[in-house]
Amino acid sequence: MLQRFLNPSVLASVSNLELIAKTVVDGFVSGLHESPDFGFSQEFAEYRQYNPGDDLRHVDWNVFARSEKMVLKRFRGETNSPLTILLDASNSMRMASHTVSKIDYARYAAASIAYLAGKQQRDAVGLIVFDDQVRNYIQPSTRQGQLHRILHGLEHAEPAARTDYAKPFAHCMEFLRRRGIVAVLSDFLDDPEMVIKTIEPLRYRGNEVVMLQVLDPQELQPKFNSSVVLIDMETDESIEVTPEYAQTEYREKMQRHLAALETKARAAGIDYHLLVTDRPLDTALREYLAIRRGRM
Amino acid sequence: MGLLSPWFLAGLGALALPVYLHLLKRHKTTPVPFSSLMFFERRTQSSIKHRRLKYLALLALRLLLLLLLTLAFAQPFISREAKANPAEKRLLAVVDQSFSMRAGSRLADAKSQAQTLVASRANGQLTQVAALGSRLKMLTEPTVESGALKGAIDGIEAGDEVGAYGELSRALRMAIANDPRPMEVHLFTDGQKSALPSGFADLALPSAVALKIHTVGPAKSEPNWAVETVNAPSILWDTKKARVQATITGFDTPASKRTASLVVNGAIAATKSIDVPAAGRATVEFQGLEVPYGISKCEVRIDAADKLAADDRVLFSVQRSDPKRVLLVHEGRDTRSPIYFRAALGAAAEAAFTLDTITADQSSGVDTSKYAFIAMADVIPPVAFVEKAQRYVAGGGSLLVAAGPNAAKQSKIPVLDLPVTEGQYYSRAGERFSVVGESDPTHPSLRRAAKWEGVKFFYAAGVDPQDSRVVARLSDRTPLLIERKIGEGRALLFTSTIDNVANDFPLHPSFVAFIDQSARYLSGMEERNAVTSVGSHLELRSAKERAVSVEVIDPDGKRPLSLRESTQAQSFQVTRGGFFEVRRANGRNEMAAVNPDRRESDLGALPAETVQLWTGSGAGEAGAVAAKAASDTPSGFQEEPVKKPWSFWWYFLLAAALATVGESIFANQYLGVQRE
Repeated sequence: MLQRFLNPSVLASVSNLELIAKTVVDGFVSGLHESPDFGFSQEFAEYRQYNPGDDLRHVDWNVFARSEKMVLKRFRGETNSPLTILLDASNSMRMASHTVSKIDYARYAAASIAYLAGKQQRDAVGLIVFDDQVRNYIQPSTRQGQLHRILHGLEHAEPAARTDYAKPFAHCMEFLRRRGIVAVLSDFLDDPEMVIKTIEPLRYRGNEVVMLQVLDPQELQPKFNSSVVLIDMETDESIEVTPEYAQTEYREKMQRHLAALETKARAAGIDYHLLVTDRPLDTALREYLAIRRGRM
Repeated sequence: MGLLSPWFLAGLGALALPVYLHLLKRHKTTPVPFSSLMFFERRTQSSIKHRRLKYLALLALRLLLLLLLTLAFAQPFISREAKANPAEKRLLAVVDQSFSMRAGSRLADAKSQAQTLVASRANGQLTQVAALGSRLKMLTEPTVESGALKGAIDGIEAGDEVGAYGELSRALRMAIANDPRPMEVHLFTDGQKSALPSGFADLALPSAVALKIHTVGPAKSEPNWAVETVNAPSILWDTKKARVQATITGFDTPASKRTASLVVNGAIAATKSIDVPAAGRATVEFQGLEVPYGISKCEVRIDAADKLAADDRVLFSVQRSDPKRVLLVHEGRDTRSPIYFRAALGAAAEAAFTLDTITADQSSGVDTSKYAFIAMADVIPPVAFVEKAQRYVAGGGSLLVAAGPNAAKQSKIPVLDLPVTEGQYYSRAGERFSVVGESDPTHPSLRRAAKWEGVKFFYAAGVDPQDSRVVARLSDRTPLLIERKIGEGRALLFTSTIDNVANDFPLHPSFVAFIDQSARYLSGMEERNAVTSVGSHLELRSAKERAVSVEVIDPDGKRPLSLRESTQAQSFQVTRGGFFEVRRANGRNEMAAVNPDRRESDLGALPAETVQLWTGSGAGEAGAVAAKAASDTPSGFQEEPVKKPWSFWWYFLLAAALATVGESIFANQYLGVQRE
């Protein structure tokens, strides 16, 4: 019943981002009960031999008392994976062929992930809003009120400039000192080679990186009744396009672009998922949980 | 193939609309924002070129649709052969009644064949009977009653007119223009070659007319002698000097001796034998013409013994009278003008005039009414004479005025009442003299010698001609000869003298011709309708504003003019031969001898090729063949295919409906909302 709230068109009528995130996560979690593969709890997970350098706080001293062996006790719930959300707030994210624009959809997804991570998983959640530079940075934290700061940052992330991955991601490298999960929400409408080369360094510090590409249905399969003049949202460049071209060559080029992006992302060890703004939001949540589960 | 409503072709202008919409209208597009144009390519695809390629089929269909609709409304048709219903076709029986039909039994044969045609026509067929002379005369209204038609045919008599096939074609063209229903015309004629018009185009028949010619008379041309012309004086003063010349002509005749007789008032006055060559002409001359005073009816006849006896004589009339008196008024010191004028008048007019000369001082008591015309030679006449002369001219008399330096001293030319301006003394100028610059050769005074070559004029009086007719001018455009109508009469003004002082005109032969013609013109001798031919017009009056009565008495002694016509008609067309008496209001009587046109005497038949061309002229080659077949069968009707217009506009409408369906399909495909 709650899952219908995963529909972005329904969520668009709700103005409170926290309420949207809660609604999405609740709806998503309620659906998970039917799927044992994706359970999570504070239950004991495993013992592991102590290796020099491990944190002594995780040593099971009861076992050491009984057997004088130093083992580390691991619990699922105690897996600490700080989540950093990188949100693209460039002008191209304004694209909207129906009630939900790309930036809105990205905000819903980011809020839902943050809610799931912060409230449910008690993970530290941080936010970086960027376009051609870093516009807002909220350091990952589990402090009280962190979620509200994240949501506030999302609400004020309005598209303004062009996308430029190189400059903001160089800054991001400085911010992401702890290993964790990095979710990049963008339309990635750029050269796949350059995009991957820019994002790939995030993994070097042990981060799990997931690329969540947000696209509008009109971008995937544009439909025009007659010739139209299109204006680029970022460059203001215009071009006349025929319906035949939009139906044939454009789609082929877009599909090639998506395939290249996914292939190169996988090759670079980066998870990639396509989010279409007219589809439910659970894809992003599933992806986050899958990654977190893999880190436990 | 043609169009019943060609004006609808103006709808083709609507073809411009789809052309404009498809090719010329500017393609307006609203810019649409898009996230990124990295997958689009900039191509040279202008809106016009793009639309041309894309909507070519649609454009073609729309143009086709409009074209078909326009053609459907214009109602194209083709002529298809259909069985003719004889009752639908009007029938016209034309019997030739020209002069040549008097030969032998031609008219009787023609009427007999026409009666057969009327009897054998289809039931209920509208039929009309007409007679053809110099024009087509309808004798009945279109009717189905055989009695009226047969009566009309029986009543046709041979006339004296010349046959005119061109008039028949012209009348048929007008009849079809008024009523386009098809008409079958049967012409019963002797097929005389001379009845053809000068241009073959005048024989053209409309396509709705089917002409069939039924020739009567012998197939070969018959020999015929005729008196072609007679040359005799119309007015006679000296009977012993008069000569009558007659030309005898043979058409397809052998050389033979004929006897020509001169008949005066019904009695043979002279007889002569003449040898007429084969198919040639000969002239016979009778010296002396003893006729009593007054008008005599004369004729020259031959003993031809051929089938056309009516052309064996030519009528002419002769009027015998005493010489007419002419009055010349001159100054007492001017002795030269009477000499030159008398000499010219006596030399030219065959002693038709006797001249009385008086000086200006003697003119006050003269009686002008006994003169044929009055001449004034550069005089200043007394007022009493001027008043007499004015009354004389206004009552129908004539005046010749020579105005030299003496007459130019007056402010106005007497009687003519034309103002005098400064005269021209050419002898004092560099050229010394002037010559005639332009003249009107149609004027009776100049008809024989219009140019007056070599005549030098040293002086010319200046006269303002006002509304008068200027007959001749000098080279500096000074009026030389002016005619002015005054009441019923006329006056000629010569702006120089006749005394060989102000010019040397009296020394030239053209002076004699001028005086002779002017005297005849002014005395009214030119007006006589002495000999004329059937179909010509007799002139009844010259001044139409005067409602004077003119009487015409035909050869039967009847008056052919109604009371209204006798007071208003300008002329009278004679349609039969014989003597016509014309009694004018001024008391003059004339006797016009009217003879049939001698072209009718040539009984040569039409060539067969000409008949085929004529009867086939309305329907092309096929019509010509059909006409030939018809001319071979003298009478009777056969059903034959006729061409009827068959309109096929609804085929175009059907095609337009199909084009509409196709246009809808293409338009839906091109312009409809696209769905995945």
